[in-house]
Amino acid sequence: MASDDISTLIGRVALRDRAAFSALYRQSSPKLFAICVRILKDRAEAEEALQEIYVKIWQRAGRYAAGETNPMSWLSAIARNHAIDQLRARKPVANTIDEAYDLADSAPDPEKSAVNAAEGRKIDKCMGELEPDRADAVRKAYVEGLSYQELAGLFGVPLNTMRTWLRRSLLKLRECMER
Amino acid sequence: MTTQDPESGDSRRDQVIAGEYVLGVLSADDRRKVEARMVLDRAFAAMVKHWQSNLSTFDESYEPLAPSPQVFTAIERRIFADQSSVAGGGLWNSLAFWRILTLASIGGFITFATFASGILEPVSEKKRALVAELAGEGSAAINLMAQYDAATGALTVTPVAARQAQAKSLEVWLIEGDNPAKSLGVLPQTGEGEIVIAPELRAKVGEGVTLAVSVEPFGGSPTGRATGPVVAAGKTRLP
Repeated sequence: MASDDISTLIGRVALRDRAAFSALYRQSSPKLFAICVRILKDRAEAEEALQEIYVKIWQRAGRYAAGETNPMSWLSAIARNHAIDQLRARKPVANTIDEAYDLADSAPDPEKSAVNAAEGRKIDKCMGELEPDRADAVRKAYVEGLSYQELAGLFGVPLNTMRTWLRRSLLKLRECMER
Repeated sequence: MTTQDPESGDSRRDQVIAGEYVLGVLSADDRRKVEARMVLDRAFAAMVKHWQSNLSTFDESYEPLAPSPQVFTAIERRIFADQSSVAGGGLWNSLAFWRILTLASIGGFITFATFASGILEPVSEKKRALVAELAGEGSAAINLMAQYDAATGALTVTPVAARQAQAKSLEVWLIEGDNPAKSLGVLPQTGEGEIVIAPELRAKVGEGVTLAVSVEPFGGSPTGRATGPVVAAGKTRLP
């Protein structure tokens, strides 16, 4: 499915084209439903969420800036944000952003950077520069919508260690992406 | 989280918070704070957007899975039932706001939107608070969720997404029929989004009135009428 087509369909949905909305749903709903199921881990809840998501897509289609964002990523972000909001409402987690962040500088590892400076997409290369378990934690947080607490349990480390892992990994990723 | 000047704040920390938001590890409250800040801090909003774009590669992990056929029927019922209730009125009514508000610039068109939110917790069936999703379009795009509690007179407006320059204030207006827009107040710069409606205006906030938000000079409109672009408008309804 070419992203041009999806982009055009979103544009037509912004103009309130019902047939385009139906076509957009046919083409994108398996992906967005997969996101809901993976994050919410409950099919009925995921179907409920999918309804809300397509209502939002109908409402927000006019705000999609073609050419600026990949259309499928734009749709997926709406789905992920909605599913994560549902999840966090159902199972609240601790507020953290007003607390101190432990963001000590991590020493660069030039050898490792050189080894991984291969072809391929930059994010893959940068993920490859992280410790494997940390890269795994970053990916699981995103894909499964896991909380810090759940990640800490999964990786068998204290909660604060997991926070430090992810936050430093984010900084390393950013530094790598900017190189 | 306070709204910081994009140049002054701790940019490493901001980068991490933006990344945590996109990863999805933050609490519901923190997510709302991040979204509020995105409204007022364009540099921060750009960080979130970058993370979104970089991490979207992981979307490949989601193996497509077909939902049951009834889902689309339910979606169509919701959207097109909503649409028929405002059809013919929606855009024309919104054009009327522009005239009433005598705006200098308009970034696109306004859509009426209804939205069942997971953020808001309805009270009892009879005593539900009014809600409105205020949706805007164009270069000053913003999305706000408004909730009005008639008992206390508290109008909560939570920005949920936007790109907007700093050092501006968001002012909330009440538009009732063809009457001139009345200012309900200026949203706090913190993005907390709550203003208390003056007692004499409370009787006017009922179902079906229009709430609009304009971008004004810092501190609010100097003239008592909207001077900046209206970035969002929507009608109140029961959730």
